[in-house]
Amino acid sequence: MSPAAAPNPVLLVLTALAASVMLGLPLISVQPNRIMPGEGLTLWALGGPLAVAAVLTLLAALAWLAWRPTRRALATALALVGLCLALLPWGLVAVAAEQIDPDMASARIGLGAGLWALLFVLLLALLELLNRLALGPLPRWGLTLVLALSLFAALAGGGLDSLALMREYHGRSATFHAALRYHLVLVAAVVGISLLLAAALALAMRRWSRLQRGTFSVLSVLQTIPSLALFGLLLAPLAYLAARFTWLGDLGVRGIGWAPALIALVAYSLLPMTRNAYVALDEVAADVTDAARGMGMSPGQVFWQVRLPLALPVMLEGIRITAVQAIGLAAVAALIGAGGLGTFIFQGLGQAAMDLVLLGALPIILIALLVDGAFSALAEQLRRSQGRGDTAHGG
Amino acid sequence: MSLARRLSAPLAWALLLAALMLLMPLFEEVFRLVAPDTRAVIYQRDSFASLVANHLLLVGVASLCAIVVGMGAAILVTRQWGRDFLPLVSQLASIGQTFPPVAVLALAVPVLGFGSQPTIVALILYGLLPIVRNTLVGIQGIAPGVMESARGMGMSGRQILWQVELPLARPVILAGIRTSVTINIATAAIGSTIGARTLGDPIIAGIVNGNTAFILQGALLIALLALCVDSLFERLQLR
Repeated sequence: MSPAAAPNPVLLVLTALAASVMLGLPLISVQPNRIMPGEGLTLWALGGPLAVAAVLTLLAALAWLAWRPTRRALATALALVGLCLALLPWGLVAVAAEQIDPDMASARIGLGAGLWALLFVLLLALLELLNRLALGPLPRWGLTLVLALSLFAALAGGGLDSLALMREYHGRSATFHAALRYHLVLVAAVVGISLLLAAALALAMRRWSRLQRGTFSVLSVLQTIPSLALFGLLLAPLAYLAARFTWLGDLGVRGIGWAPALIALVAYSLLPMTRNAYVALDEVAADVTDAARGMGMSPGQVFWQVRLPLALPVMLEGIRITAVQAIGLAAVAALIGAGGLGTFIFQGLGQAAMDLVLLGALPIILIALLVDGAFSALAEQLRRSQGRGDTAHGG
Repeated sequence: MSLARRLSAPLAWALLLAALMLLMPLFEEVFRLVAPDTRAVIYQRDSFASLVANHLLLVGVASLCAIVVGMGAAILVTRQWGRDFLPLVSQLASIGQTFPPVAVLALAVPVLGFGSQPTIVALILYGLLPIVRNTLVGIQGIAPGVMESARGMGMSGRQILWQVELPLARPVILAGIRTSVTINIATAAIGSTIGARTLGDPIIAGIVNGNTAFILQGALLIALLALCVDSLFERLQLR
């Protein structure tokens, strides 16, 4: 890269944003107990002129690196931003130790608007730097791992226990783990069931092409109906069936609970799953299957050894969309008594306990991001290895 | 196809919605079947018409803002001088869509409090993403040759935007707006839990009081509203 690279305006804007957020907004709030609103503390109030000077120096260094964005400057900036993110939880540990009197068991630290905004800006800067440096998946996952480990170590050390979020967690850790497990099981069941149904539908549509139009229009109408309404619409018939056939009631099928949640989530999942399964099977080029047949493969062999492996990346994409969608919709299902992490969101909203809302919402967002990242990476990997396989055959 | 024919499907849904909204009390006996033990069978706290109107208002205001801001942002970052921001905005729009709408709605409360306003803000924030994403895809998907010949004809940047880029990207942008509005209608219903007055109200009241009839009334109206709006977009996209 030439040394006279033009300044990177994105990083400059982000640096300015970080400065105004850190100086202008309260970073944390100290609350005497769960319900009392806390007193917001800015960087100045927390660390005095010394902390402000340190932060400004750091940001000035970032701005300077952004002004002459050679590859080395950008790599340095990446290291700086990564370090800031990794140290953020440890800064909180230090602040918590200073601000919270260990004798006051209910005193807690709330995360202020400034801290969330800072986290957001830093993550944006991280994304931008990763983009500019065009790093591969390995450094990306490595960086994620380092940041996760740092956060986990800070949490495990107990230094963050006076965080309001952690107070809520420790008050109900058994319920939280049960809800987390339940949420994951529900999503896994939805993905599994809809995968089977979608595969059957896609195969049926390939055989009888007249099915195609009708199936897709029914599925997309289903997708349009808002989740809250679909749960509501399922309630009456399910309650009726459970009352009519006692064995269904014995299985736990009721108007509220897991049964309407599972049915509604599968209904929503069918469109992305079926569309991708169908496209995946349809897209495998005709000459490839012709060649396979020409090599003397039986139709079964063509399907299992040629069509399915080649269709896999696109089907994985369908699974990714479905899983991410189901993770969010399962939260709504908590409203109809289906349990899961959404329970904390709606309980927290009911009690105006915002940290309880966070206890439900943050894990849901994290799980969605993780699942999204993992399936994208897997599909990418598959595609790449197949690409390599193709060229190997060609050469 | 004549205008009347083209609007037939949305009109049919709208008529059904209006009929159910206004004539709900006539079906009291039907709703009594699903909730035989409750005294009030028809939701009374608000008129259904005002709930439908308020739901539409929330979604309308939020979607309008999301369209203006979302398309604006996507257009800015596809201009020559905004290109530096393109990768970040594009990535942000696709990563942001991984966030579940409920979580965004819930997170708006600590910052903005309860009521209609936080609901609208959450709807705008979430609704932006599909619009930004699709506007970017639509504009970037235009063949370079088309752009070059537009420039070669001496068109100014503004003319290219209005007469070439936006018309060619229109179907993709419309699809994004449709996704955004569909999600907003569903999320606005959940806005009931944070104090917005929407069609979710009867459902929440029904869940709290164990009244299946209330739930069914809210659910039917929301579903009809969503189908009506969606079929309208379907027709718009066909043009």
